[in-house]
Amino acid sequence: MTDTSEITEEKARSQWADVWSQFRSHRGAMIGASFFIFICLLVIFGPMLWPIEPNFIDIRAKNQGPSLAHPFGTDQLGRDTFAQVLAGGRVSLLVGVTAMGLALFLGTFIGVLAGYFKRLDSPLMRLTDLFLALPILPLLLVIIMLFRDTLRAAFGPETGIFLLVVFVIGITSWMHTARIVRGDVLSLKEQEFVLAARSIGTPSHRMILRHILPNVMSPIMVSATLGIATAIITESAISFLGLGFPSDFPTWGRLLSDSTNFMTLNPERVIWPGLAISLTVLSVNYIGDGLRDALDPRIRGR
Amino acid sequence: MFDVSQGAKTLIEVRGLKMYFPIYAGVFRRHVGDVKAVDDVSFDIYEGETLGLVGESGCGKSTCGRAILRLYDITAGSITINGREIGKESQAGLRKLRPTMQMVFQDPQASLNPRMTLEGIIGEPLLEHTDMDRTQRRARVHELMDAVGLNRRFSNRYPHEFSGGQRQRIGIARALALNPKFIVCDEPIAALDVSIQAQVVNLLEDLQKQFGLTYLFISHDLSMVRHIADRVAVMYLGKVVELSARESLYNEPLHPYTKALLSAVPEPDPDLEAAERVILQGDVPSPANPPAGCNFCTRCPAVMEICHREDPAFREVLPGRFVACHHYNDMNVSNETADETGS
Repeated sequence: MTDTSEITEEKARSQWADVWSQFRSHRGAMIGASFFIFICLLVIFGPMLWPIEPNFIDIRAKNQGPSLAHPFGTDQLGRDTFAQVLAGGRVSLLVGVTAMGLALFLGTFIGVLAGYFKRLDSPLMRLTDLFLALPILPLLLVIIMLFRDTLRAAFGPETGIFLLVVFVIGITSWMHTARIVRGDVLSLKEQEFVLAARSIGTPSHRMILRHILPNVMSPIMVSATLGIATAIITESAISFLGLGFPSDFPTWGRLLSDSTNFMTLNPERVIWPGLAISLTVLSVNYIGDGLRDALDPRIRGR
Repeated sequence: MFDVSQGAKTLIEVRGLKMYFPIYAGVFRRHVGDVKAVDDVSFDIYEGETLGLVGESGCGKSTCGRAILRLYDITAGSITINGREIGKESQAGLRKLRPTMQMVFQDPQASLNPRMTLEGIIGEPLLEHTDMDRTQRRARVHELMDAVGLNRRFSNRYPHEFSGGQRQRIGIARALALNPKFIVCDEPIAALDVSIQAQVVNLLEDLQKQFGLTYLFISHDLSMVRHIADRVAVMYLGKVVELSARESLYNEPLHPYTKALLSAVPEPDPDLEAAERVILQGDVPSPANPPAGCNFCTRCPAVMEICHREDPAFREVLPGRFVACHHYNDMNVSNETADETGS
């Protein structure tokens, strides 16, 4: 204000450049992001480069510990664990990210509607309570029993079951996001800047997109990162029950559950997929942390 | 200063404005009563003037200002702005009228979206109501920033990077963006420190001259209202108890509540220490359950028997001076009837 001679405008800062520079300054987020990208590249390109097929059975090499030929060892049928972890990661990550996206979309949508429109609050929140009260496992059983064959016929066995698993995980894990978002929207709605926007004449949908959603980013980010973890783990639970992907189709969750019987014999078979799940979840958590800070202009630049 | 003589055109006409907030209680959320935040208020605002609205906390000043802009769906009454009735207009229909009436808010921190840049905030009304492209909008935002004394360089900054006074200027720039005729200033200086208050008030006065604005200036700072307002309305418990030109109100208050309120203003000159301070006893009654008769009868130092029975009408007792008090029942200007108040 004092420097009136300076009339040239401050260099127009692109918002995304700001976000990126703040994200870069968050060390945990950068490490997490690099690791996550590393895992993604590994599971995408790894199976093309690794010579052993994940389902190739070499019964003479069964239950081996780590060696040069099999760095992660082999399972009870002599399949290479490393190849299986790589192949399983593809599905697990894809399921985790897609199911989280679906749950997040549903949760945010319902939370915002319930928080913003008073009329919808009670019905939508009762619906949320209903979903929270549903026993998830029997529900999963019923849904999968009902739709498995139809979807398999329509999209092929793997895509069909993938869609089903994503859908099932998505519609059974949006409730917490919805509750958190609703609470935040309720308090935001009473802020004066919302009233100011109303005095300008901003219609409801733009009010939500412009003023409400950007301000509920933080809790959404947090539930997103937690959601990926839950989705990966739920997928393994479904596979464990024999309702998910076919038994010869490796995912991290399935590898984990298959190996539990052999834990005393060769414990590293549990460790590898477990480690893969934990590290992925951890790195996603850090990314979410960094993103949340980077998207908040009040924290940015500090 | 503004001349309140009879040639002035009426811009805002408020008649019998009521804003009740329902109270629900019990298991079945039954409607058990109303908080009568604004209860039957009538007044006019002339084009180009500043009407000060004063009163203690919780008397309904802010609600009144917001109700006039139809930020609430009002319970009853009519509001005419520039010859157009908006009391019963739907929110969608009001959208087209929003450019003529704007608002400056009390808390400059809370009234700006923390995730938007200055350009986004000031440009939002332009985005909603004009079809300017990005460059035109930016040019207009810069123009407005000049008008309120903000450096153009700041247009890409976020609200948290500014001081309170600067934030209030942002709020004022946003209110000015669409060339409004009428601005409700809802305690725009209450959250600022004294030196900044003067700056903001002077800015508001300059803008009024420059753009021919009409203000409804809501405040509890009586000295500041005396400085900026042309006419002053005093509110107590949801009702306007007195409305008159600034000087006559401050020199010779009529309503006992106004007298008490004015006697509470600190006098800077120690030699002139006002001897007769009127100290009100008791508390403001609940607006959910106002007393029978005059709202002020529970605390009035000059209470009469009739005050507990009858609600005094809001009448013009002297030319241009309106008051709602039984003490002035025998005074009347040219046999005007009570329902023509304010005109």
